[in-house]
Amino acid sequence: MTVVALEGIRKVYKSGALEFEALKGISLEIRQGEMVALMGPSGSGKTTLMQIIGLLDRPTQGTYHLAGQDVTTLSENQRAEVRNQEIGFVFQAFHLLPRLNVLENVEVPMIYAGVPAEERRQRAMEVLQKVGLGDKWRNLPSQLSGGQKQRVAVARALSMRPSILLADEPTGNLDSKTAAEVMRLFQELNDEGTCVIVVTHEHDIADYCGRIVRIRDGQIEADGPNPGRKRAVGGLA
Amino acid sequence: MSAPAVLKTPKKVRSRLAGISPWLVFQVAWRAILGNPLRSVLTTLGVIIGVAAVVALTMVGRGSTANITRTLQSLGTNLLTIGSAAGPRGGGFGLVRFGGPQTVTLADAEAIRLEFEGRIVGIAPTLQGNQQIKVGAANMNATVIGTWPDYASVRNAQPAQGSFFSEADLQARRRVAVIGYGIAQDLFGGQDPIGQTLRIAGLSFTVVGVLPDKGDSGFASPNYQVMVPLSTYLQRLARSSTGEPRVNAIYIQGPDKDSLPQLQEALTEFMAARRKMTDPSQYDFSVQNQADALASVNQVTQTMTLFLGGVAGISLLVGGIGIMNIMLVSVTERTREIGIRKALGAKPRDILTQFLVESVVLSVGGGILGIFLGLALAGSVGQFLRITPIFDPFSVVLAFVFSVAVGVFFGYYPAARAARLDPVESLRYE
Repeated sequence: MTVVALEGIRKVYKSGALEFEALKGISLEIRQGEMVALMGPSGSGKTTLMQIIGLLDRPTQGTYHLAGQDVTTLSENQRAEVRNQEIGFVFQAFHLLPRLNVLENVEVPMIYAGVPAEERRQRAMEVLQKVGLGDKWRNLPSQLSGGQKQRVAVARALSMRPSILLADEPTGNLDSKTAAEVMRLFQELNDEGTCVIVVTHEHDIADYCGRIVRIRDGQIEADGPNPGRKRAVGGLA
Repeated sequence: MSAPAVLKTPKKVRSRLAGISPWLVFQVAWRAILGNPLRSVLTTLGVIIGVAAVVALTMVGRGSTANITRTLQSLGTNLLTIGSAAGPRGGGFGLVRFGGPQTVTLADAEAIRLEFEGRIVGIAPTLQGNQQIKVGAANMNATVIGTWPDYASVRNAQPAQGSFFSEADLQARRRVAVIGYGIAQDLFGGQDPIGQTLRIAGLSFTVVGVLPDKGDSGFASPNYQVMVPLSTYLQRLARSSTGEPRVNAIYIQGPDKDSLPQLQEALTEFMAARRKMTDPSQYDFSVQNQADALASVNQVTQTMTLFLGGVAGISLLVGGIGIMNIMLVSVTERTREIGIRKALGAKPRDILTQFLVESVVLSVGGGILGIFLGLALAGSVGQFLRITPIFDPFSVVLAFVFSVAVGVFFGYYPAARAARLDPVESLRYE
């Protein structure tokens, strides 16, 4: 089943009389169960592509189907709903809410979905245990290490059981050992069937993925399976 | 691989109609406010001060109105007062006119006594002045009132000890005096003043009665008055004047409240006829009903209430602008949080609600603090002014409602701005 289907996506930024074409007609299909790396140097348009896939931004041209549904022309409210239901974001800077503790952070997407309090708590604890932080639920983000913060962010992304996990430079703020741990976590989730899209400029990180899509100057330069895929060694730390 | 464990359990069926529980929204707002307690308090200071001022001033105002009303009523019931009016020049203000030419005479009082015999309960003309009074070496200034024996019933001045002077005392121009409670305390100490000598302007008077404690009503307190027969007063204490003796006022007690308007009219006609006056605007006297005085007190109260409303409006406006200002800062500071929440599925309406609730919680918090501050303020101001403040639930409710309205009104613009933020831009915001 195709989860993400992009067809002729263009994105043009306008600044006064200046126009900048960040994406120059991208067509891409990502199927359920895949783990894909969107690779490219900075300025290649990979972040713009990630924002369009994540429904944070709208394409100037082209169509986008997410989990079979045409999401190109949705209203602001509908897009918020689809983001909430279908997409789990993991950001480079973790983007946890500093005043909320770990459990409350994980609950945020479920709050906007209207999940009742008890179920919310229970599901948040489940995903926290899944990322190995069941015992840290009371902590504030400031009391966690970088790797732990990113695992909380992953738990939060998983809490709504999304169709895709969208990770934007998820290891950019982590040391290489912690980065490897986070990538192993993604691999585990992928092995369970979650579709994972990782945006990165690092070959080391892209190598954890089964398929690598290279972007340059707003176009797909190369797209194919990753023969030298790194496999996670052992379980989670 | 089998169907993923985490994926695709039923979720589309979930209704968003349920929405976010108000309690949760409140908690989020409360935390944001507690996150910066000093700033929150400073922000709401405008609302706090505005609400406190309204509550305190209303309570003190009502307290003092009640005080004046009580004083007026304690000075006699079913009371009509004839006083001098300025005539064509106008300016009749209050019950009794002390300054300016006195135009009501003792002869007027005597004529009324004869004419209205049986239709009135009592009549007492008064002439008064400040005199030095002495007992032994102790001395003080007091208001000395020359009057008739009916004064006791007409002005509600029955002595607690001894008795009021009599008609015989009046006829014989005896030097007898009835003294207020305060004078008895201050000049006679613990001794029984009845039968003792009191010197008024150097003349000795015998104390025949002491009034009960009338309370300290601030101005013209009956506790510091001395009553003597009017005949004695005119002979011994009044400034020498030629012609008909004049009085400050004539107090007349009617049989009951309902007959007062008729009596008032009859007295006015009688006085006018005596003066051969026909044009009411030329009258040099006025006949006033106690109800008139109460009405004028009430009018003052109403004016004050309007004025307080204005003060409240302005301070709440200023307070609201303060809240709007800090909410705008707060939205800017939390741009990233807004971006994160939007990425996680918050709709514009969710963000709007969150910030709106925060501003309402701020202003209502300020309102509640203001109410308590106002109560405390009313207590201490009341103690200072010797007034018992009266709790006014209406003003408290009004202040509360206004602070909610201020929160919604001034919180809307910042909240709408937050709701409109672009998620991509706000996630990038540092």
